[in-house]
Amino acid sequence: MGANFESKYLMNKFFSKKISIISFILIPIIFLWHPNWLGFLGVQPYWPLFWLLPWSMINGSINGLIFGLFLGLILDSLTLDDSLTQIPGLIFCGFLFGRIKLYSDNLVGHFRYGLICSFGSLLCGTLYFLQILLRNFSNSNSLMLMASVKNILAEVFLTGLFAPFICSQLLRMFKFSRRKLQ
Amino acid sequence: MLGIRRISTTRWWHKKKNWLFFAIFLFLVFVRLSKGSFYKDIYYFISKPFWPGQFQKEIVLESIDQEYLIKLNLLRKDNLRLRRILSLQESSNNEKISAAVISRKTGSWWRQIILNKGSKDGVEIGNIVTGPGGLLGRVKDTSLFTSSVTLITSPESKLGVWVDRIQINGLLVGLGDDYPSLILYSKDADIKVGDFVSSSPASTLLPPNIPIGIVQSIDETLKSKKTAKISLLAKPHVIDWVQILKVNI
Repeated sequence: MGANFESKYLMNKFFSKKISIISFILIPIIFLWHPNWLGFLGVQPYWPLFWLLPWSMINGSINGLIFGLFLGLILDSLTLDDSLTQIPGLIFCGFLFGRIKLYSDNLVGHFRYGLICSFGSLLCGTLYFLQILLRNFSNSNSLMLMASVKNILAEVFLTGLFAPFICSQLLRMFKFSRRKLQ
Repeated sequence: MLGIRRISTTRWWHKKKNWLFFAIFLFLVFVRLSKGSFYKDIYYFISKPFWPGQFQKEIVLESIDQEYLIKLNLLRKDNLRLRRILSLQESSNNEKISAAVISRKTGSWWRQIILNKGSKDGVEIGNIVTGPGGLLGRVKDTSLFTSSVTLITSPESKLGVWVDRIQINGLLVGLGDDYPSLILYSKDADIKVGDFVSSSPASTLLPPNIPIGIVQSIDETLKSKKTAKISLLAKPHVIDWVQILKVNI
């Protein structure tokens, strides 16, 4: 009984300490899972931003930039487009998010996460779209433009919708694990 | 007083029987005006248990399926024989690998699916993936247990296709939405809505005669080319099981 309790306690301690790493590992899995019932017009929210925002807010711009790069590298390896990359958008977002101060008012903070993540998603989407445009410069037409604008807008909407729930929870957990570590 | 009572009981609208007749008359007028639809609907429900059942329908459909299958096999054999005589490329007759879709990205920037069969099962880069309806895409990457497929709707995908009615080759380019664009490098090509598009016999990436889609709309003719939107026969966002064809082109 005692041993069981102790192992449970140790496991809880481990999870609370490593929550940031565990959630980081989960991002590519959710990215691959691509649950349709969470989508809008077949588009998903931009999952990596939900993790990157709280991480960068707590650990600063440089950390955000580095982990933006890491996330970009992992997600690029999961997608098949060799010549297109998500790294610039995520690096930029990581750096920008790191400059944002933690807000004291919780309610405003929750909504602020939505707005920031929407902006980040717009930035990443636009950078990705520009790469597609540059690559298919000769073949590009209005149909491609329309599909891309639809993708960007749906992604911005969904990311902004989910961010207040997910980011605030992750931020709370990251803060908690950090406090325990200190 | 007595006189008044007598009058009131003798009025026609005070008799139940008259009202009954009036109601029947109205009903008959309704039946006449509705051309008996009321009766037909009642008959529909009464006769429902005695209809020729699903069982009979299944037998008929099964027979039609068998007939089509036999015809298809005969045509396939003919096609193979004629291709051999003309020394044309042969459709792949090699083994097919059935695989399940374990990850699906069909609505965003990335148009790809991941299958549960990988290099361990003999899947190779460049293999063709088909689903119910026709072509889905090509294997772009394999791991030990999985293989990633670039869908033909992806902006990365460019394939040679064949429009059978006008006997012309074209290029199918993914646009990042559900309808890839067919580019015909001839502004005089007489392409029409409803034309059937299949893989090109001249393609170096695909075996010939794999169904791909149907022309949904035709865009404006540009200087030297004609473009059209293609509605795919195989729907990647709903297909759970696919076939991987090993290609020998």
